[in-house]
Amino acid sequence: MPGLLEALRDAVGPALFYGAVSPVLKIAVLLFLGVLPLISYLTLAERKILGFLQVRTGPNRVGPWGLLQPIADVLKLLVKEDVIPNQAVRWAFVLGPCLVVAPAFIILGVIPFGPPSGSEGAPSLFIADVNVALLFVIATATIGVYGLIIGGWASNSKFSLLGGLRSAAQMISYEVPQGLALVGPLLLAGSMSLVDIVEVQRDGRLWFFVPQFVAFFIYMVAGVAESNRNPFDLPEAESELVAGYHTEYSGMRFALFFLGEYANMIVVSAVAVTLFLGGWLPPFPSVEALSFLHLSFLPAGLAGLLWFSAKLSVFLFVYIWFRGTFPRYRFDQLMDLGWKWLIPLALANILLTGLLKLLT
Amino acid sequence: MEPPQTSPRQTLLGLEEMELNFGPQHPSTHGVLRLKLRVDGERIVDCYPIIGYLHRGTEKLFELHPFFQNVPHTDRMDYVAAATNNLAYVGAVEKLCGLVVPPRARYIRTLLSELQRISSHLLWLATHAIDIGAMTPFFYTFRERELILDLFEQYCGARLTLNCMRPGGQPYDLPAGWVELCREFVEDFPSKVDEYEGLLTENRIWKKRTVGVGVLSAETALEYGVTGPMLRGSGVAWDLRKAEPYDAYPEVEFDIAVRHNGDTYDRYLVRMDEMRQAARIITQCLDQLPEGPIMAKRPRVLKAPKASEAYYAIEGPKGEIGFYIVGDGTPNPHRCRVRPPSFMNLQVLPEMVRGDLVSDLVAVIGTTDIVLGEVDR
Amino acid sequence: MKKFLDRIMLLDLFAGLGITFKAIFKKKVTVQYPEERKEPAHRFRGMFRLDEERCIKCTLCARDCPIDIIYIDWHQELNPETNKKEKVLDRFDIDVQRCMFCGLCEEACPTEPKSIWLTSKTYELATYERWQNLYVDMDELQDWQVRPEYTDEEIA
Repeated sequence: MPGLLEALRDAVGPALFYGAVSPVLKIAVLLFLGVLPLISYLTLAERKILGFLQVRTGPNRVGPWGLLQPIADVLKLLVKEDVIPNQAVRWAFVLGPCLVVAPAFIILGVIPFGPPSGSEGAPSLFIADVNVALLFVIATATIGVYGLIIGGWASNSKFSLLGGLRSAAQMISYEVPQGLALVGPLLLAGSMSLVDIVEVQRDGRLWFFVPQFVAFFIYMVAGVAESNRNPFDLPEAESELVAGYHTEYSGMRFALFFLGEYANMIVVSAVAVTLFLGGWLPPFPSVEALSFLHLSFLPAGLAGLLWFSAKLSVFLFVYIWFRGTFPRYRFDQLMDLGWKWLIPLALANILLTGLLKLLT
Repeated sequence: MEPPQTSPRQTLLGLEEMELNFGPQHPSTHGVLRLKLRVDGERIVDCYPIIGYLHRGTEKLFELHPFFQNVPHTDRMDYVAAATNNLAYVGAVEKLCGLVVPPRARYIRTLLSELQRISSHLLWLATHAIDIGAMTPFFYTFRERELILDLFEQYCGARLTLNCMRPGGQPYDLPAGWVELCREFVEDFPSKVDEYEGLLTENRIWKKRTVGVGVLSAETALEYGVTGPMLRGSGVAWDLRKAEPYDAYPEVEFDIAVRHNGDTYDRYLVRMDEMRQAARIITQCLDQLPEGPIMAKRPRVLKAPKASEAYYAIEGPKGEIGFYIVGDGTPNPHRCRVRPPSFMNLQVLPEMVRGDLVSDLVAVIGTTDIVLGEVDR
Repeated sequence: MKKFLDRIMLLDLFAGLGITFKAIFKKKVTVQYPEERKEPAHRFRGMFRLDEERCIKCTLCARDCPIDIIYIDWHQELNPETNKKEKVLDRFDIDVQRCMFCGLCEEACPTEPKSIWLTSKTYELATYERWQNLYVDMDELQDWQVRPEYTDEEIA
């Protein structure tokens, strides 16, 4: 395998290889072997875990422990009839789901799953180390809102429009505390590059979760609201009046909205892990006594990937746990929470962090 | 019957009010209830319930058959709480024909009614919580409800449409071992209620959704004839089990659950308290169960006296359920009119909901605890 | 003070989370139908069964049915062996579409043990075609694969 990669590098030249071919290969591996299976099995995990929370078994008919259930679901959605309402605006109708799913995948391009490689031969476990990665993350996440608005409007239905607008209002109002909460770790790290932020957490001997737990909490709550999950899932609740922006969608387009929601969950969790929980670092990364946690018997990078995945799984479990436990907020209470409580709290956090950094 | 057709009024900023149909098919209307809403943005300006989608002519069916054959029809009115329907009907027949029920049968009837009260409130909690968004109480409450339905199945053979009482007493005696199983269930039950309360009662999201929502003042409730937990949540301590005791209630000790604010949260607390009190009553009944016959002495063909009438009401889980029977000397009733508690409670829905948001409408319908089988008969 | 801390530290939310977390380790209530099945109680009112030999053709069951779905026809015949007039059952149909399994026919039956009873514990009555099992006639009622006797046993 390394021999093949080296031959390829010699063939196209180092600039082109490191600039274009290597990222494309990494994107392919990440997407097809990482994210897409993760999203589909996240749907199964949600149903099983919700089942366990509710003293029942989840799906267990299709394959052992229901492991083939996502495949069955995807097949079902693929062969469903693709309905576009007569009066709908066609180009917008088709564009809506794509605008929800694409930003989620794009953000995954800058998240570091593992440490940068020390040597020339091994690939580093992220696709790009952009030096304004944090800003890029926030900006790309905002594009996802467009997908909702366009999808709700293009369906040409009163309820879809109202649902889409409500959902968009909710997402926009929680973008602000989300962004403000991310400024806390930014101040502590002094750099917007995500790889640098993780490195600072290693050098500083503590994950940012400890000094910045208020920002962590705000980011978690805003993240749950961003992905339209319980307790903030009013736009998708069937027991409320308005059925939501994805009423008119069927088949694979609906699947795209659905998968986009899960992709959003994964992205929010991944960003939280990187910024607050130390990315690929084990707990207490610089303590000598716990250096066995670095798992150095594994190939370079794999240990980091394992730690990252473990933390990501904890976050996803917490998402599902919230869904199984809490009732839903009413829309005006939701907006109250975002504007009146989270934003002042985030601003206070920034002020405090800045003062402390200035004084020490 | 349609509401008066007026054109939608202009509201502030020149916007129009929207007329929305909260249709008969909807996941949270608990049956086929249709509400015509007039909304201004998100606020409900007016609400007009339209019922009748489940009407089956039950009161006419009562007139076609003799008294004891009508008991299965009463099961199907409030299908969630069949035993209390049965009890109201057979009580009315006994009052009409002058039958005296033996003590053991009265105790068994009380046991069944209280078990049914718990079962109905568990279902209410499940659906109310899931309308507001909490999915898990549904599964926990149904786990307990399965145990109650098993008890019913062991007694009379059916889980939901019980047909477990006859005019004059009980058709069968308790099977051997039933009392122990029931006692086991009742001893375990208060800890389960604690579990549901731990999930919901202090939860800030639950409180935000239910405190101050759907307020019903005591005067309005009394004017409309509302009974049951809706009345007791508004501060009026009226419970037919204490005011006009029947069956074994004079001989057991229990408290009436009353709260004073009249909002959804209070009615939730009232019903949780009622479940605990019901467990208490069942324990006492099991301890005090007398021996003896279970069926009164009654003629082979039960005929009502000519030109007689009787009204008998009991406290069902949803309120006061009463039967008014007119007899005419034949084995069939001449006319049998039901006083359905859900129908009376539904009348007050527009009062409670005016001025609230559409999202609150779902919570308020849940707290009214209507069963359309009873509203429409 | 405690209430203030409660609100800040979100203790009520954590209590709820704790309850659901503990539920993961409890025994599941799912019954894996059709491999496992909950056995109905002894008195379960399932599909009915008729025993023609015990039946004395009094038609009390038909009279007592609340929805009048039992159809009985009988005629008198001279039995050559005993030289007495006996009732012979021609038709005993029950309209399965409408039966509500209330058990009043079983209560009305005067024979000891009863000739019609509902304790068959059969509740899986679905068929794939609409015309199957519409009317259950005399022969089918007797060959129904159920427990053959009616006894008043104890439960459990």
